[in-house]
Amino acid sequence: MTKEQFTSEFESARPHLKSYLLRITASIEDTEDLVQDTFIKASTKLDTFRAESTVKTWIFTIASNLTKDNLRAKKRWTENVTDICKAKALSNPNYFPEVMAINQTSQHGNFEIKEHITFCLTCISKSLPLEQQICILLKEVYEFKVAEIVEILQTSEAMVKYYLHTSRSKMVNVFEGRCALINKNGTCHQCSELNGIFNPKQDFEVEKNKIDFAKKANDPNREQLLDLRFQIMKEIDPFNSNGSDLQLHHIQHNRDVMENYSEKNEK
Amino acid sequence: MTTIASTGSAVTTKKTFSRETAVSIDIQADKSIIWALLTNANDFPRWNSTVVSIDGNIALGEKIKLKSTLDPKREFKLKVKEFEADQRLVWGDAMGKRVYTLKSIGNNLTNFTMVEKIGGPLFPLFAKMIPPFDQSFEAYAADLKNEAETISSTK
Repeated sequence: MTKEQFTSEFESARPHLKSYLLRITASIEDTEDLVQDTFIKASTKLDTFRAESTVKTWIFTIASNLTKDNLRAKKRWTENVTDICKAKALSNPNYFPEVMAINQTSQHGNFEIKEHITFCLTCISKSLPLEQQICILLKEVYEFKVAEIVEILQTSEAMVKYYLHTSRSKMVNVFEGRCALINKNGTCHQCSELNGIFNPKQDFEVEKNKIDFAKKANDPNREQLLDLRFQIMKEIDPFNSNGSDLQLHHIQHNRDVMENYSEKNEK
Repeated sequence: MTTIASTGSAVTTKKTFSRETAVSIDIQADKSIIWALLTNANDFPRWNSTVVSIDGNIALGEKIKLKSTLDPKREFKLKVKEFEADQRLVWGDAMGKRVYTLKSIGNNLTNFTMVEKIGGPLFPLFAKMIPPFDQSFEAYAADLKNEAETISSTK
């Protein structure tokens, strides 16, 4: 493969790579750095690429290894991350003026429930062990096959299957307990609360019913509801959506809060 | 150690100073899936109906705290005594030990065996206070088989 061919392949993979790295790291800065580091590392190792996998799989392998190195020392988030971050936002007098300014001035500052669902899915996935988070995102959002994930994670097929199954079970459980969109006893109402702030004229019930998994909230197949969440995530580019500036602000806020939270809890 | 058929039915052998319960079952899954299930402490209560909780890290030399549905109020403090990845796991305390063994027996088929032996010089004094393990062992093996085979069938 020539350098030009590689650069062209990299540019094709870049949007998916960038959104994948953002969802793994929850940091815009780390994402930019990791994309750049992946490009440099792959470029310098071009002669080692044996075409036994696709270039995209190879790029994701390098990126995932760099990301694992980047995150290894960091604590995983907790399942109640949205509660912790909400409390922090409410206690910060600058938080709402900031987000309202983004909402009112940015072309990408709209609040859309679907985007918030994606943001929430990102946050909850960060409570999984890192390998599980990587597996589930690669499979359910970026549509890699199990055999490709085996290569990306450099593990066995059995372990990838274990990670996928375990992470899905955990996420189903977490959303079952927390998400008021699918469970009337769910403890998290953040979608409706934020929608009320940013879109006060909207009828939340009407908007909610436009979302497949919320409409199917009574469906006993809870795995399917999770798949529908991932389907929403698949359709949204977190760097280029109607509300990307707003959601990127949310995610960076949560990352900062959770880093401090982990540090405090380690002391 | 008792050798038993891999039917999923538990067998208990009682002696004056010890009691041993064993169960064996064939599972259509790779050994490493079963090993992952057996060594991920936090995940146990999700798939194993006989375990209330396991705190700690299941690794060689580590101490774990286990609560079983057989006696949920009691916390067993156990030490991981042997840890051979994908093959053999042993944990126990002064009173006894539990041995897990995995053997590949063919095309993605694994034999799982679990044996617990409890005993000692004072065993006859408290033997009657220890509930039978058979039912719990059978549920354990059935849960493990179900979970491992479900994972194995992931596409």
